[in-house]
Amino acid sequence: MGIHVTVKNATLGATLKMDLGPNETVYDIIESAAEFWKKEPKAYVLRKGKYLLRASDTVMEANLMNNDVLELLPDPEGG
Amino acid sequence: MISVKGYDNDRFDRSSRIGWMDLERIRSARCLVAGAGALGNEAVKCLVLSGFRDITVVDMDDVVTSNLNRCVFFREGDVMSGTKSEILAARASEIDQNVRITPRCMKVQEMDDWENFDLIIGCLDNITARLHVNANAYYFKIPYVDGGTDGMTGKVQTVLPGGPCLQCSMNKSHYDVTEARFSCTGKESVFYVPKMAAEITTTSVIAAMQLREAVKIASGCENRCVRNAAYYDGMSGETTVVEIKRDDGCDNHFCGV
Repeated sequence: MGIHVTVKNATLGATLKMDLGPNETVYDIIESAAEFWKKEPKAYVLRKGKYLLRASDTVMEANLMNNDVLELLPDPEGG
Repeated sequence: MISVKGYDNDRFDRSSRIGWMDLERIRSARCLVAGAGALGNEAVKCLVLSGFRDITVVDMDDVVTSNLNRCVFFREGDVMSGTKSEILAARASEIDQNVRITPRCMKVQEMDDWENFDLIIGCLDNITARLHVNANAYYFKIPYVDGGTDGMTGKVQTVLPGGPCLQCSMNKSHYDVTEARFSCTGKESVFYVPKMAAEITTTSVIAAMQLREAVKIASGCENRCVRNAAYYDGMSGETTVVEIKRDDGCDNHFCGV
């Protein structure tokens, strides 16, 4: 059974609703959100509360719940 | 007439008033700064002013004009007339003659004496070099404080022996970026680092956060370090601290290291 989550864009403040199946991965969420916001090809991570989500985890493994709010963060590369 | 008190003759008097700060340990820590660009300039400035006395700076690049909006130790006369590591070492030494700053003009990938350092400050501009430093720091059990910036955003991650490393938090988007940096001509591969937005205020904030972690580690207060990464957004002024789970499938944790 699927769940509904909200993904927040940390840079723009915009939000996006997503329907997820249990076998979709955290990386699938990152990729879909980055595509939706037409993000530059850079590195991104996803957090839920105070935890950074492991990209290889499935929705079930990451223990994502219905109505969770996640945040897409850019992972800066420059020095 | 007002006389100068003894405490005003001591360079580190005000630092020593921070109870947990261990200036003796800070003085003796052997510190490696990987990268002598914007973050490297700010990091070395803060290292010297914090009391570190044994600093090695590694960077292979020369100074160019576009560095001058955010590198406090570089001057116009340095452009194409010296390497970043040598100029940074010479200028930062002027702050305190008791500090030994050793420049190394080489790629960080060419280093082969990691065991000679107690602490690494990562001031690099690409993921490939970060992964190299991260792997060596983890293998040799050296605390590693990595910094990164992009325009008004930045990040600091503290990697302590036994904990989650930089690679534990990476995903395919990081490796896609890394792959995009390489161009194979058939005869050789070229590493290309794109020009990113960069300005001094974000650089200063991130380098200062890195150095605060370094001071905690050198003072034996690792338990008070940021766990595990702090993401900074300069537009909102918000800093978000996130925990990273150690990934036992990560290459660096193979065989339970």
